[in-house]
Amino acid sequence: MPAAGNDIFFDTVTELNARLVKKEFSVEELARAFAERLEQLGPRYNALALSLKPQAVRQAHSVDKDLKNGRLRGPLQGVPYGVKDLLNYVGLPTTWGAKPYATQVFDSNATVIDKLHVVGAVIVGKLSMVELAGAGGYRSTAASLFGPGLNPWDRTRWSGGSSSGPAAAVAAGLVPFAIGSETNGSIVTPAAFCGVTALRPTYGLVSRHGAMALSWTLDKLGPFARSVEDCGLILHAIAGGDGNDPGSAGKSFYYTPQYARPLNQLRIGFTATDFAGLPAFAAAFDMVKSSGAQLVETALPSFPYGVVLAAILGAEQASVFEPLISSGQVDRLADPAQIAGLKASLEIPAIDYLKAMRIRRLLQSAIQLMWGDLDAVLAPARTGIAPKIDQPLSPTPGAPKSAPRTAAFPSFAELTPASNLAGLPALVLPCGFADNMPVAIQLVGPPWSENTLLAIGKDFQSRTDWHQRKPPTP
Amino acid sequence: MKLTRRQLATVLAPAAAVAGAAAQSAPAVDDELRAARERVKTNGEALAGHALPMSVEPAFQFKA
Repeated sequence: MPAAGNDIFFDTVTELNARLVKKEFSVEELARAFAERLEQLGPRYNALALSLKPQAVRQAHSVDKDLKNGRLRGPLQGVPYGVKDLLNYVGLPTTWGAKPYATQVFDSNATVIDKLHVVGAVIVGKLSMVELAGAGGYRSTAASLFGPGLNPWDRTRWSGGSSSGPAAAVAAGLVPFAIGSETNGSIVTPAAFCGVTALRPTYGLVSRHGAMALSWTLDKLGPFARSVEDCGLILHAIAGGDGNDPGSAGKSFYYTPQYARPLNQLRIGFTATDFAGLPAFAAAFDMVKSSGAQLVETALPSFPYGVVLAAILGAEQASVFEPLISSGQVDRLADPAQIAGLKASLEIPAIDYLKAMRIRRLLQSAIQLMWGDLDAVLAPARTGIAPKIDQPLSPTPGAPKSAPRTAAFPSFAELTPASNLAGLPALVLPCGFADNMPVAIQLVGPPWSENTLLAIGKDFQSRTDWHQRKPPTP
Repeated sequence: MKLTRRQLATVLAPAAAVAGAAAQSAPAVDDELRAARERVKTNGEALAGHALPMSVEPAFQFKA
């Protein structure tokens, strides 16, 4: 039994910080407990990329001194966390989940790690991911240096991608929170499959300096955590302008849900088709409706979102990984579909990329108009549960496809590419189970509307306990 | 060193299996690449079919 006790592993950030301030245990005891649990159980889910236990213990010792001397640095002080293995950690391997980069080492930390260090959060490990965050388009759950991400709710099922490790580690109580990334679904999907709360921030709000690039105009970093409240506090710490990130918007974020507009003044868009499936979605819809917010049936502007995203992501990843592809090192990746996808992406004509970026301008304007009438939209985060690990995944993410648009209010099936193309924030809320596996809803809002989404989510979690459910004991 | 037929068969069997697997995987890799190139082509055709006014500029310096 760890010195800090076994009851800590599913505490929220605020609960852990309060117990540290009350001196129930030290930061060092807490860091040791989580680092050891991550080392012991992380491999069970293929979630651990690299343990940072020695570094965590050293940092925790220093944070203990700060607490002893009354130097309080906020709610994340002393709280352990993990990061997806695409964030640089000085002097130790950052693999990007891919064999060709297995020994790669950087000489400085990613900005988010430095920011979390400043507020006293203690990094205990790096977490697994789909190789190159899915560059080229993966079709196998085994597309990772660490093997398929295994879901803590059922290890025969996938934890989702590409932020497999962060989602699984938070779900299994191996870390209180984790930082992942999304280009097109890589936060939303694993959070939904593993039943954890997660936030994809507005494009440009969180610095990506020191993070692997996949697509410069689509990449975002965001938190996986135990509650909406935790996501808000973490975003508060990691957001902010950074001259080292050309995509940085130069904006800060202050977590102030108490100043969000009353819920009964909000209008939330949805489409009935999306909530006609699993009973958990219908119940979640009723719960959001009972908050007093006005739910309005609506439709996404009609654009070929999948086609546009595929061209932009394909061309940008081809440029990012051109040395890997041209050198032939790409053949060392685990998934043949990714190898082929990366090679083919070198052949995307400039005219296609430019056309896609021009259509992106139009769809961004059309979606901006939609916000004139709405404060957010609500949809299932994923319509189904996590697939079995031996099942081939659906065709290349972002591949050309169009949702049938015959109905007046067709499904928001393309909400993921649409909201990523427009750089919009999304909040993932666990909302129940289907076949004993978690499912979740997502709220998407206008740029910089994180506090509104968090206020809606906080109300939802004050009246439900899906986010507090724990997977079977390993 | 002399090998019996049985020993020779034991030594060569894994190599033959590997060669067989390689021969099987090569067309599979080619098929994957052909399919990926086809997707690029289809995607380009879909984009080309979307008419735009000349005034629409690409979303460079993209800001949300």
